[in-house]
Amino acid sequence: MKRIVVDPVTRIEGHLRVEIKVDETTGKVQDALSSGTAWRGIELIVKDRDPRDAWAFVQRICGVCTTVHALASLRAVEDALGIEIPKNANYIRNIMAASQNVHDHLVHFYHLHALDWVSPVEALKADPAATAALQNAVLEKYRLPLTGPMDFDFDAYPKDFPKATTLYFKAVQDKVKKIVESGQLGIFAGQWWDHPDYQLLPPEVHLMAVAHYLNILDRQRDVVVPHVIFGGKNPHPHYTVGGMPCSISMNDMNAPINSERLAAVDTAISMSLNLVNYFYLPDLLAIGEMYVKKGYVDGGGLAKERVLGYGDFPDESYSGISNGDFHQKLLLRSNGVVENFAKGLNEAVFHNLEGKDYADPSIISEGVEHSWYSYPEAGKDIHPWDGVTKPQFTGPKEGDKANWKFLDEEGKYSWLKTPKWRGKTAEVGPLARYIIIYTKVKKGVIQPTWAEKMVVDQIEAVSKVLGLPPEVWMPTMVGRTAVRGLETQLYAYISKYFFDKLVKNIRNGDTSVANTAKWEPSTWPKEAKGVGLHEAPRGALGHWVVIKDGKIANYQAVVPTTWNACPRDSKAGYGAYEASMIDTKVKIADKPIEVLKVIRSFDPCIACATHLYDAEGKQLGVIHTDPYFKG
Amino acid sequence: MENRGSLWDLFQKRGLSRRSFLKTCVTVTGILGLSPAMLPEVVAAAENKALPVVIWLHGHECTGCDESFIRSASPLASDVVLNMISLEYSDTLAAAAGEPFEHHLKEVMQKYAGQYILAVEGGVSTGENGIHCMVGGRPFVTVLKEAAQGAAAIIEYGSCAAWGGIQAAKPNPTKSVAVSDVVSGKPIIKVPGCPPIPEVMTAVVMHYALFGQIPPLDSQHRPKQFFGNRIHDTCYRRPFFDAGMFVEQFDDAGAKAGWCLYKMGCRGPVAYNSCGNMRWWNGLSYPIQSGAPCIACGSNNFWDNDPFYVRLPNIPVPNTVADADKVGTIATGAAVAGVVVHGAMSVAQRNKRQAKEQEDSVRGPQA
Repeated sequence: MKRIVVDPVTRIEGHLRVEIKVDETTGKVQDALSSGTAWRGIELIVKDRDPRDAWAFVQRICGVCTTVHALASLRAVEDALGIEIPKNANYIRNIMAASQNVHDHLVHFYHLHALDWVSPVEALKADPAATAALQNAVLEKYRLPLTGPMDFDFDAYPKDFPKATTLYFKAVQDKVKKIVESGQLGIFAGQWWDHPDYQLLPPEVHLMAVAHYLNILDRQRDVVVPHVIFGGKNPHPHYTVGGMPCSISMNDMNAPINSERLAAVDTAISMSLNLVNYFYLPDLLAIGEMYVKKGYVDGGGLAKERVLGYGDFPDESYSGISNGDFHQKLLLRSNGVVENFAKGLNEAVFHNLEGKDYADPSIISEGVEHSWYSYPEAGKDIHPWDGVTKPQFTGPKEGDKANWKFLDEEGKYSWLKTPKWRGKTAEVGPLARYIIIYTKVKKGVIQPTWAEKMVVDQIEAVSKVLGLPPEVWMPTMVGRTAVRGLETQLYAYISKYFFDKLVKNIRNGDTSVANTAKWEPSTWPKEAKGVGLHEAPRGALGHWVVIKDGKIANYQAVVPTTWNACPRDSKAGYGAYEASMIDTKVKIADKPIEVLKVIRSFDPCIACATHLYDAEGKQLGVIHTDPYFKG
Repeated sequence: MENRGSLWDLFQKRGLSRRSFLKTCVTVTGILGLSPAMLPEVVAAAENKALPVVIWLHGHECTGCDESFIRSASPLASDVVLNMISLEYSDTLAAAAGEPFEHHLKEVMQKYAGQYILAVEGGVSTGENGIHCMVGGRPFVTVLKEAAQGAAAIIEYGSCAAWGGIQAAKPNPTKSVAVSDVVSGKPIIKVPGCPPIPEVMTAVVMHYALFGQIPPLDSQHRPKQFFGNRIHDTCYRRPFFDAGMFVEQFDDAGAKAGWCLYKMGCRGPVAYNSCGNMRWWNGLSYPIQSGAPCIACGSNNFWDNDPFYVRLPNIPVPNTVADADKVGTIATGAAVAGVVVHGAMSVAQRNKRQAKEQEDSVRGPQA
């Protein structure tokens, strides 16, 4: 057994710490704990403020998955006040949400996750001519030629397309070589490039992927052009309760939205489709197949047992979420819980989750058994509407409050609460959404929409490529990463679908973007409660708001990374991060790249540290990713 | 790291042509807001000055500033990260994790002590000795102070680092403050915004790379180039303000015609930023152009200047102080006189500005 610290892990968002106990002889992780190490108190800050401002405040919870908290907040306030937004506003918000997901997933794969799989050092060994041939082969073999509905298809040819020439790859390789020789490695400095996992792929794959890392770094900005057109900026675009502030007029160039503005959005969506279809998916499937065929099907953890989703993309405007109308209108009905998916479809169990369920404390609650908060009644979990955010920092097990050595897995050890569905933990995210939709369609719970049919088609196409059934390859580290790519393709087509609907609706004479009937607080009830749901890039996101006398009386956000990175609970079990690490094998304890890889497969929204313990709990080595840490 | 050369050295080392080097200089001249006549000086600076080593830390933040930084179009993110600065530490982009990376960083901090630029994103939590933001098992405030010791200059990226930001809004549960509230004795460059405009973020670094010194700053340590004008004064909707033509509620006829958002609570009249002249995505849009009132996200304490939809009580307009209802009367009643008065004011402003610029040029970049 060995105990090691990695603090903080890079290429994730925020501050997270993880501690693990590993058996060195088998590489088996015996125990793992995940701890969010920062608390900003935004829920306390929005208290007593104008509910029409809440979206702007809570949007700042995250700037990577920017916009998702704004959207959940708007939906919660509109649910509370009974506001139905106009058709155009619904389409525009859906385009913004879908393009956010496309952007977030692309950047995660190429810039946050890719360097766990590919290495610039390996790329130097590649033959540029063989790399060009490989690029051609990959495009032939691994493209997923699925499409969504396309009413306005103005993309004459793929402007963004991978270059497959010897000279191009030689130029990229020469550049990498010069960077390495100059000694100025910059962002590539210090990684464990000698880890045997980097030998799993041939050098040509490394060179191709490094070239695409650079291509996508320069193109990602254009994916979120819809945010800048509709919301004025990115990160953190602007919204308004009741719809969108971007009025539409075909009579005025001063108008926020007109033909020229729509053209910019259309161009951005076409480009996104190209990036996903010709870069992301072929790269992902080529790498994924090599890993799976070499036996890498671990890291599933909680995904095998229980996944949860809320559903999203209202096809048309809805009258409320708490009243159940939202879930009647969805294009992507990933709402619900699936248990035991890893045992195959027959044994998998589906539980529905809609409307009033979100108001039921016996269905959704949060506990603080291992969190640095205190509740009025110890051991009694609380529904988010009654949520209490009262910090109670108890410090670590070893070390002092301002200089931790080890956290206390027996006591409190995280700033994250533990969210529960019917008293149990669950994994959320793209993988959860895909497992839920696949199970619902296959079990005949729903008749699929075009988007849900595409989900099933994608899963079946990949199962064919890998030669494995979905229950084997999906709930794994590779599966989590692969499904995120499939979802990116789906979301790019969802952007296109809602763009087409927007244009057709404007053509029919409807230019309305905001419902201002209940703008004035004098029109609001004295007290109101609302829930706002959204499928964010990292999973199911819920905001719960209580409004009293025109002000926010209580606000609680239960975010996807809280579901996934939460501390354990004696009754509910391990959170998804902890369970996935326990389900991962580590080859070299001092270079626990597999653990970092499985953590990054969730696309964490917090920074972290990893401890590995020996059998006696004695610390053997400490690995710090924080350069200023002095142990 | 031995070969920390100039931009031109780097272009040569990486086999890039003189032509592409000069093209980059032209782009940079434009981005920095310098006149084309300054091009020879930009070229000279790029040929001779060393590349800055940059270390980027994260405190109480949302990573939106990092995201904004990589959205820069000119220069492109890849060119900045690989060819223009030596980004030796960034927990968002760095490949490495663990001990080797830590050693690399210690080496960088020692070797370039007194020379590296410290970029900080996020506020500094100070409540209960900083335990609300722990990095590597220690409070971020401790980590920050150590890294600041060897810094040549500190860039506070975003409103959190510059002013404390969202977590410092009332009741400030974590007692968060700005970087400059806990670090002293170093040149500070404040680049506020939530987040700042991408090209503003990269241009500040480029200025240092080119001229070897921090850009001219205003009294609040903000680069004058980007924070010298109010959005109100550079806004394409300003003529509607002067004419008293206002959006009265979202999506009304005025909103569709792009009239002034002042009555919807727009903070343009108190917001010093480049959204009006530079705009986002190289001129594509900014919140006002997309129909949303400005919330002054680059201003100190803007979060507590809420509710955002309540209009500012009084604003100075030519020749008087009036609320927006009166502006309409004045403008329609005395439109011609208003234009004349406004014109006279502009001349006075220009004269004042010219005098100030002469003063600045004495200690400008070429001095």
